[in-house]
Amino acid sequence: MNAPLFQAKDYKSELKPIWCPGCGDFGVLQGLYRALSAIGRPPHEVAFISGIGCSSRIPGYTTAYGFNTVHGRSLPIAQGVKLANPELLVVIAGGDGDGFSIGGGHVAHAVRRNIDLTYLVMDNQVYGLTKGQLSPTSPKGLETVTSPLGSLEDPINPLLYMLAYGAGFVAQATPADMPGMSALIEEAIRYPGFSFVNIQSPCVTFGEDEQQLKAHKGKMKTLASLGHDSTNQLAAMDLARAYGKELYTGVFYKNPNPPPTYESLVKLRQAEQSKKARARHQILEAYLQK
Amino acid sequence: MLDDLILGMAGAGGDGVVSAGESLLSAASSEGYHALMTKSFGSQIRGGESSCRVRLSTKKVLNPGGALDVMVALNWEDFFKFGAELPLSVNTVLIYEEKAGPPPETLAARGVVPKELVPVGITELTKKSAGSDKAKTSVVLGLLSGWFGIPSEAITRGLKKKFGNKGEGLLEANEKALAVGIDYAKAHPLQAPHVIAKPAGTPGSKMLCDGNDMCAAGALFAGVKFFGGYPITPSTEVMQTLTREIWKYGGTVLQCEDEIAGLGATVGASFAGKKSMSATSGPGMDLKTEILGLATIAELPLVLLNVQRGGPSTGLPTKPEQGDLFQAAFSGHGDVLRPVLAPTDVEDTFRTTVECFNIAEQFQTPVILLSDQEIAQRKEAVDLIDTSKMEIIERRVPTEAELAAKPYARFALTESGVSPITHPGLKGGTYLAAGIEHNEKGDPTSSGAMHAKMNAKRFRKLEPLKKRADLFEVQGNPNAALGLIAWGSTAGVAREAVQLAKAEGHDVKLLVPYLLYPIAEQVYANFFESLKHGLIVELSHQGQLYRILRMFTEVPKGVRSFTRDGANPFQPIELVKTLVELKGLPS
Ligand SMILES: Cc1ncc(C[n+]2csc(CCOP(=O)(O)OP(=O)(O)O)c2C)c(N)n1
Ligand code: SF4
Ligand SMILES: [Mg+2]
Repeated sequence: MNAPLFQAKDYKSELKPIWCPGCGDFGVLQGLYRALSAIGRPPHEVAFISGIGCSSRIPGYTTAYGFNTVHGRSLPIAQGVKLANPELLVVIAGGDGDGFSIGGGHVAHAVRRNIDLTYLVMDNQVYGLTKGQLSPTSPKGLETVTSPLGSLEDPINPLLYMLAYGAGFVAQATPADMPGMSALIEEAIRYPGFSFVNIQSPCVTFGEDEQQLKAHKGKMKTLASLGHDSTNQLAAMDLARAYGKELYTGVFYKNPNPPPTYESLVKLRQAEQSKKARARHQILEAYLQK
Repeated sequence: MLDDLILGMAGAGGDGVVSAGESLLSAASSEGYHALMTKSFGSQIRGGESSCRVRLSTKKVLNPGGALDVMVALNWEDFFKFGAELPLSVNTVLIYEEKAGPPPETLAARGVVPKELVPVGITELTKKSAGSDKAKTSVVLGLLSGWFGIPSEAITRGLKKKFGNKGEGLLEANEKALAVGIDYAKAHPLQAPHVIAKPAGTPGSKMLCDGNDMCAAGALFAGVKFFGGYPITPSTEVMQTLTREIWKYGGTVLQCEDEIAGLGATVGASFAGKKSMSATSGPGMDLKTEILGLATIAELPLVLLNVQRGGPSTGLPTKPEQGDLFQAAFSGHGDVLRPVLAPTDVEDTFRTTVECFNIAEQFQTPVILLSDQEIAQRKEAVDLIDTSKMEIIERRVPTEAELAAKPYARFALTESGVSPITHPGLKGGTYLAAGIEHNEKGDPTSSGAMHAKMNAKRFRKLEPLKKRADLFEVQGNPNAALGLIAWGSTAGVAREAVQLAKAEGHDVKLLVPYLLYPIAEQVYANFFESLKHGLIVELSHQGQLYRILRMFTEVPKGVRSFTRDGANPFQPIELVKTLVELKGLPS
């Protein structure tokens, strides 16, 4: 085999991560470097968009073009990037709060548009950056600084959400299984359409013991080992119901016949309409009243 | 012969007065008249009262005008719902449906009763000629043609266009109704004739468009490639036009799930290197605030149109108000300086839009294009704009050679404050754009010293705008002791007021800023210098420009804020009267 055009280190920037030692996000970053090098697009052709949170700091630690935006809005912003330049490889990352609480309203629309984007949620079931508040994926009953007597609400289920909205690629990973995770990120990026990977990325500072890497190692089961057929959407939904109880990793669902992406339809429309373009200085003549 | 004629019509939703106004406007514009039409509806989705005003002139029309020369009321109840929007004078020819009976007491109670009251059995005439009352407005058009000299051939052409392919009989019925109206007018001459002169312009040389049309056209002319938005009255037509047109020019429109996503996608497209815009109104502006701040700190060009409507909250969604200037200038947390430009009529909405794109790209900043419902939705017949000398500015993107020569610093602290900007795809130009404060390279920082430098840079880069004389219209004798300042749609009223004042022998000068923010202190200081008395005219409760001027300039004591809440339009003559009254007072 030839040496890859770009090695993992070519995607690593000089910035030193601000994360707490041992934070799961370090692992995610490593996995991402590997996936990007396996794909081999030069860093300047990659746009890496995030929201706000510990996890959302990740674009700065790569040599790609990064956009660390505002809390919860990475999905629409990334759509603008991709539609403005479909040639780019666009990856989105953020936390569970960023994606499913403040940004939750954007998820359905990102999915239904089916723009070729890869969305990585670093799900730690807590608000890390703001120091340990309840998150939309926190288990019911969890005691945090904003739920000192235990939370009263059920968590949302990101996997089931994505499947129900109709996402063409839905997977789950943990940095406890580095080769598995980087392969999944790579596969998600290669999927031609909107793809989602829920990464169980432990918060060592505010997270529970059973959410740490050590616990993951004992608990995780690959979907392959369960004999799951990743082209079976209903089976995927059934398995996804175990979110929060079991730690399944691998591809829940991958559409075997990916539909055309939004941007490919845009391209067709532009090509068809371009024949009707007016010269710049004749645009106003359309309004002449004869 | 008159060179200017202002007509009003009001009726129930199904009467079609707006559509009649449109026919009149298109007839007049195809003949070469300058013309302007505003419409006004009740808040019902369909049906309910509706009205329109059409102003025809042989010269450029500056505003919808004051008191009506002609008013057609199809019933009294609907007419009275429009109060200040359809003002009468003693000289108005008030034509009304005979069936509705003579004007009720309410008319006298409103202050003026026109001398010439003309009852016409419009419904009767329609039934007799067209066989049903569906063609009522064609009778009205006939009356207007017969009495006021609006060429009937042009109206007939309009009817052909409108009904030509709408099924058997419809066109003939309307043509008959038109003829009956014309004959009726001929047989019943008015006491005082009001015939309008022929226009000087060549037929077929006028554009018929509204402000939202000109915004969309300006954006296309400037080279917009991305529009992200969410529908909201009265801005939606911009998205609707672009989503029909933009593909032709290699762009795309994304109708987003909300306004936050709309401006989010827009800022994303700009980050990716494309000219981008969004459009909204009141409540949508509120939602976009956070993303505007992001565009400011990440120094990403974009244009955001706010078509002002009455507020707060849902407010008066279909009426104009100039109540969003504070928001345009100041919304968002932190120390923000963001250019705000306002068009003053339909035609200059085109230029102002192009200007906003130019400023956005040149200075790498979000720019607010602050239109209002009146300009955005009033239709005008105007001369075709000569675009041959209009300049288009592109953002300063470094070449790959420049990038290879030395390490790239996206936010380099340059003297001008503007730094070279790259975009994904460009080799050697990778950087981190962020909402977080950054150093020159773009790396996050929480250093107070760096924050101070970056704030200074973001403010410094916009200084040159204040020196752009072309962003201000200054009219009249520079030494005049009386003056008016007006912006947005109110400027058209002030322009006419200055002409009226001159005709009455008063020396009044005028300042119309297209650039509303940052405040060009020197421009105002120069203007204020000779003033003993002046008015800053605004359609809002507070008079927001006046208040901002008090923040940044020394407003002379004799210069006052002259305001009225939205949906209560000014008349040129009242500005003159108020100024003349002030003249007598000590300054
Ligand atoms: C509009 C807005 N609201 C609130 C915040 C504060 N805030 C920043 S990050 C965050 C939650 C972060 O949690 P998550 O998205 O799960 O990311 P993590 O830090 O856990 O990786 C909050 C509430 C903000 N920055 N902006
Ligand atoms: S607070 Fe938690 S999520 Fe944030 S860096 Fe520390 S360990 Fe990671
Ligand atoms: Mg989190």
